[in-house]
Amino acid sequence: MAHQNPSERSVQELYRDDPERADALVWGRRGALQGAALAAMGAALGGSIPFARNMPSGLVPAALAQGANQPQFLQMEGKAPLILQGERPLNAETPEHLLDDPVTPADKFFIRNNGSVPDTVADARAWKIRIDGEVNTPLELTIAELEQRFEIVTRKLQMECGGNGRSGFSPQAAGNQWGNGAISNAEWTGVRLHDVLRAAGVKDGAKFTGQHGADSHLSAQGPAISRGMRIEKAMDEDTLICFRMNGAAIPQMHGAPARLVVPGWPGSLSQKWFTRLEVLNKPHTGRGMGGTSYRIPVRPIVPGSRNNGADFVDMESMPVRSVLSSHAHGTRLPAGTRSLDIRGHAWAGDLSVRDVHVSTDFGQSWQAMQVAAPPNRHAWQRWQGRIALPSDGYYEIWYRATDSNGRMQPHVAANWNPQGYGANPISRVAILIG
Amino acid sequence: MRLLPYAAVVVLLCASATIAQTPDLAQRQAEAAAALAERQEEETVLAEGEGRSEVFGYCTACHNTALIRRSAFTRERWDELMDWMAEKHGMNPLEGEFRDTIVDYLARHYGPLTRGPRGGNPFLN
Ligand code: HEC
Repeated sequence: MAHQNPSERSVQELYRDDPERADALVWGRRGALQGAALAAMGAALGGSIPFARNMPSGLVPAALAQGANQPQFLQMEGKAPLILQGERPLNAETPEHLLDDPVTPADKFFIRNNGSVPDTVADARAWKIRIDGEVNTPLELTIAELEQRFEIVTRKLQMECGGNGRSGFSPQAAGNQWGNGAISNAEWTGVRLHDVLRAAGVKDGAKFTGQHGADSHLSAQGPAISRGMRIEKAMDEDTLICFRMNGAAIPQMHGAPARLVVPGWPGSLSQKWFTRLEVLNKPHTGRGMGGTSYRIPVRPIVPGSRNNGADFVDMESMPVRSVLSSHAHGTRLPAGTRSLDIRGHAWAGDLSVRDVHVSTDFGQSWQAMQVAAPPNRHAWQRWQGRIALPSDGYYEIWYRATDSNGRMQPHVAANWNPQGYGANPISRVAILIG
Repeated sequence: MRLLPYAAVVVLLCASATIAQTPDLAQRQAEAAAALAERQEEETVLAEGEGRSEVFGYCTACHNTALIRRSAFTRERWDELMDWMAEKHGMNPLEGEFRDTIVDYLARHYGPLTRGPRGGNPFLN
C-alpha cells in the first residue's frame, strides 16, 4: 500500500484511511496539488477546484475533513435534529445552518449537560432561590416573589459553551468535540442579579460568587456542577436570574423553571435549574472550578503536554467567533451560479464584533462583509454580504470575525490546553457549484 | 395589509397554545432525556481487544461509551484522565495491573489518529 502511487487510489479513500499521510502524498512541496493528484482530488469531490493553487499545504479540504464517523442526530420532541455528542450525559450541537434566526428558538438551542436532567416541577412559581454567604440579609425568594419585587428585563443574550470550537484543537483535547454550534442567542426575561444582590447587601471584601443548581452528578453523588465568577460580572446589568426564554417558560432541557444567565462567559456559569448563589470572599471551589476545568494557560504550553493547570487562569469573556448560517456545509448550487448572498452571526464575549471578512480563495484575499450593530449589549450580530464565484467547481467559504479590540479569529486554534477551551479558529464551509 | 389582523390572531393562538403545552412538553422532554440516558449499550460498540470487557464494565457506570469512542489520546493523556475522573468525579481510583489493562486498551484502540509525516510535535518525548 505504501508504494502505491496516490493517483491510483481515490483521494477520498486516502483521506479516509490516513488524512495526514494522504496530505503528505497528495500535496506538493509548495502547497499546490500536482497533475494527476489534482484531477483525482477534483473527481473525489465531484468537481474541479478553481483555487487549488492557493490551497495551503497541510490543510485537508473542508469537504473531506469530516472524520471517519458520520454524525448522529438527536431525535427529541421539541428539538431540531441537533448533532448528538453523547446520550449520557446528553449533549447536542446545533449545526451552523440552523443558527440563522436572529433569536434562537428553543428547538435550535444546543444542549449541554454535565449531569442528569432533573424531573420537572409542578409549581414553577413556587421554585425557591437562595442568596447567601457574604451578604447582610440572606434571601430566599420564589420566582413569584422575584417577579414582584424587582424590575423585569428582557434582553437578547448570547450563551455559549466554554468548550465551543474544541474540535479545532490538535492534538485532540478532552471533552465534547464541538464545532462552532454550542452557541445560542435567545431572548431572556428575568431580574438583574445585581438588583437582587443589592437587596441582600453584599459585604465589603466579597469578591466572588458560587452558584448551585438542582441537577445531580452522573454518579448520582452530589451536584453535577457548581461554578463561580468574579463579583464584577455578577453585578453586570446583563447578568440575569431568568424565568422565561423567548417569551415562554424556560424549556426543561435548558434549566426550567429558573436559570442564571451570564452572557459572554462560559455557559457553565449560567447555572441551569438554578437554586442558590453564594457570595464569597475567596474563589469558589465547587465542581468545575480549579485545575484544568474552564481554565486556560497564561504562558502557552506545548500542545499535548501534561499539565495540572495550577498556573492557568479562569476563562472569562469568550473569544471572538462567527458562524455562517445561510448555507449548510456541503451545499450544492446550480451550474452557472456566479454570486451568492451569504449571512451569519458573530459575537465576542463581553466585547462586540467590529468586522467580518470572507475569503473564497483559501485565504489569499479577503472581502469585508456588512456587520450590524447588536440589538443590545451581549447579543450576537448579523453579518451579510455577496461573494463572487468566478467559475463552477468546489469552493470553500472561509469566514473570520474581528472583535472591537482588533483581535481576529486565528487560522488554527491557539493556546492549546488539556480540556480544550478557547479554540476559535477561522471556519470553512464547502460548497459545490454545478 | 388585510392579512395583518388575521396574522395577529394566529400569533396569539399559537402563543397561547405553546404556553398551554409547555408543562406536558417539559415532562416528555425530561422523560426522553432519561430514556436516552438509560439506553443500553452492547460491549461490542467498543473496539475488540484485550481489556475491552474491563473497560466496558468499569467505565460505563457514570456515562456511556460515546465519550470514549470519540476520544483519540496518547497513553499518557489516558493515564492522566484516569486521575482526573477519580479526583474530580469520584471514580474509584484505578491502580496496579488493572489500571494498566484499562489504560493499555484505551491507548491501543483510542489512540491519536496519526502522528503525521513529521512525527508529531518535536517538543514531546
Ligand atoms: C464515577 C463516575 C465516572 C466513572 C466510573 C468514569 N467516568 Fe469518565 N467522566 C465522568 C464525568 C462526570 C465526566 C465529565 C462528563 C461531562 O462533563 O460531559 C467524564 C468524562 C470522561 C471523558 C471525557 C473527558 C472530558 O473532559 O469530558 C472520557 C474520555 C472518560 N470520561 C473516560 C472514562 C473511562 C475510560 C472510564 C473508565 C476507566 C471512565 N471515564 C469512568 C465520570 C466518570
